[in-house]
Amino acid sequence: MQNISLYVNKKSFVHDVDFLTKLIYIFVFIAIPIISGSVIIGLLAILISLILHTCAGVLKKLIPIVALSLFVLLSVIIVQAAFIPGYHIVFFSLGPVHFYQEGLIHASLIIVRFLDILLVSSLTVLTTRPSDIVETLQRKGLSHRMGYVINSIFQIIPQMVSSMKTISDAQRSRGMETEGNLFVRVKAFLPLIGPVVISSLVGTRERAMALEARAFSADAKRTYFHEEMKYRYKTPVRIILLLLLVVSIIWRVL
Amino acid sequence: MSKVVVNNLKYRYPLTENLAINGLTFEIEQGELIGIIGRNGAGKSTLCAALTGLVPHFFKGAYGGSVHIDGINVKESKLSYISREVGIVFQNPFTQMTGAKETVKEELAFGLENLGVPKLEMLRRIEDALNLLEIDHLRDKNPLELSGGQMQRVAIASILVMHPGLLVLDEPTSQLDPQGTAEVFRAIKKLSNQGMTIIMVEHKIEEIAEYADRVMFLDNGKIVAFDTPTNVFSMNHLEEHGLRPPVFTRVCKGLGIRDLSGLYPVTLSEAVNEVQKFNESD
Amino acid sequence: MKKNRSLWMVKLNTASIALIPAAVAINYIGKLFAETLKLPLWLDSIGTIFAGILGGPILGALSGLINNVIYGLTVSPASAVYGIASIAIGVASGLLAYYGMVGKLWKVIIFGVIVAFVSSIVSVPLNYIYYGGQTGNVWGDAAFAFLNAHHVNIILSSFIDNISVDAPDKIVSSIVAFAVFSVLPKRLITLFDNSQETTTLD
Repeated sequence: MQNISLYVNKKSFVHDVDFLTKLIYIFVFIAIPIISGSVIIGLLAILISLILHTCAGVLKKLIPIVALSLFVLLSVIIVQAAFIPGYHIVFFSLGPVHFYQEGLIHASLIIVRFLDILLVSSLTVLTTRPSDIVETLQRKGLSHRMGYVINSIFQIIPQMVSSMKTISDAQRSRGMETEGNLFVRVKAFLPLIGPVVISSLVGTRERAMALEARAFSADAKRTYFHEEMKYRYKTPVRIILLLLLVVSIIWRVL
Repeated sequence: MSKVVVNNLKYRYPLTENLAINGLTFEIEQGELIGIIGRNGAGKSTLCAALTGLVPHFFKGAYGGSVHIDGINVKESKLSYISREVGIVFQNPFTQMTGAKETVKEELAFGLENLGVPKLEMLRRIEDALNLLEIDHLRDKNPLELSGGQMQRVAIASILVMHPGLLVLDEPTSQLDPQGTAEVFRAIKKLSNQGMTIIMVEHKIEEIAEYADRVMFLDNGKIVAFDTPTNVFSMNHLEEHGLRPPVFTRVCKGLGIRDLSGLYPVTLSEAVNEVQKFNESD
Repeated sequence: MKKNRSLWMVKLNTASIALIPAAVAINYIGKLFAETLKLPLWLDSIGTIFAGILGGPILGALSGLINNVIYGLTVSPASAVYGIASIAIGVASGLLAYYGMVGKLWKVIIFGVIVAFVSSIVSVPLNYIYYGGQTGNVWGDAAFAFLNAHHVNIILSSFIDNISVDAPDKIVSSIVAFAVFSVLPKRLITLFDNSQETTTLD
């Protein structure tokens, strides 16, 4: 079955780190650049995250994630540098449009902060199996019902997409119009989506009954089929991360 | 005490006017295999839901009378508690997979995790069920990528690991191909031989005639007959209630072949037997 | 909608829980549909709106939240924070349906506009933190640039940027969600009503 999650199944020291430690990493690496207010610190955080991506062997998967945001970042540069009133120092001009230096500095701040957030969250998502995230959170008190919901979506979406493909192949072989103007195309696709959506909703009834039959509503203390994942260096890594945070706060205050 | 005691059970779904079940009273003994038959809308699935507590706990609606399983009053108990006593398997194998587990053995563990069964006990029960249902070779496969018959056996196994004393099967083969159907019936027969109490709704009337100890014939939410297959299928006017008896019974009725007590054969072997006697008597 | 159903029932029944994956999948398919046909809309919140209509604000909120958790795990990790906007969409849909903004086309259009309004209010601070107030949509950002250049307050510009894209999207999404709702069997719909009780016959 097609896998929709971003997780890259590899072996690396980054993959070995448990999810909670990664959460601390996310928090610390977003907080430090903001606390310090320095673009250099922000760039440093981005650089470290990039190195970690490389070590984990997930750099290739990072590219499409960043590419997704390229347009909005470009838009940020243009609007912030050229259309915000009150700036004076012209950095360069394209025809009648002047790009101001203050605007460009502000844009670079926005972009560094954005890339930092993007990279730390991507690293975690790319190197942690979704079902491990769910199980970790369940052991920390997430309701098992919500855990079930998240896990099941990773299977239900590919299932729905593949049944849509089956229907669309059948329609196409019967000469369905998928070209032409917008109205024609929309009309052509409704018969594809309608049945899949309705049947998935009708199917929830039977699935809910099947879940009840499997003691889904039990309030007994749960047990787990999988052994809890243990990360050997979790304590030292967490301490180092929190120390970094403390140092940055002290540095800022002084 | 009987395994199942149902007393004047009545039930109406929300937003409907007619009773889906209208005054059922019967008992079922430990180890019996009961076949439930009747046309669409006769109340078969509703009865299954009532035996497992889905009626009324899941569907709500209006409820009267009582269902006791091993002395437990279904209406007064929580669904999660009833699920240890009664297991249910439905038609569609696909919607019975949780969709949240990536391997068959994890799928089997789902109910046990919810019940808080200790890990070692969990593993033991899963091994037993994998063997019993002959799906040991599928243990590491993704449940959603199996054939219908395999998936349905996984569905049965994932109920059996919870060690219910009663197994309810609501048309377990109606969405399966002939091979899948044969696989599932073989599993059901095996379970029955091991002493499991089974209640099965099934349209494949020949299979009911072959496997069931007793047949409950429902129409309009009421019991038309509850007796051995031979007695039920030998009744007159079955067609008026929308029931076609097994092909062997119909043939023998047409030919006027019946046994000494005036009953018609219901299975192939019985029919062969009677036909031979009939020929010899000529 | 029946008025007597309880609005903020927190303990969801299993049918409602099983609806969440379907709602998220509908969001996903709507988005796929819009991308495949290159529609100028997102259509990625039909399922969330639907869940709100069917199961009330809590179920709508949960569907929205989980939708963005999944979006973060499958497409864009940083965008998971927009889950707050999705939660708002779910809550707004649940409340609007409860208070009767259903049935007629004009009501559903107002429904869509209000949902867009609410989601924009929540999105503005996020847009501000992430992108200095922009959305990355050409038309919206053009409006943002224009308003900014004419000395309109940045928060208002950002809001207009957001809602000019959101309103058409949420109107179409609401119409689709209600269309689906109206073809579902009533007996199925009652299963998601967490305030149903069993009555006694005799």
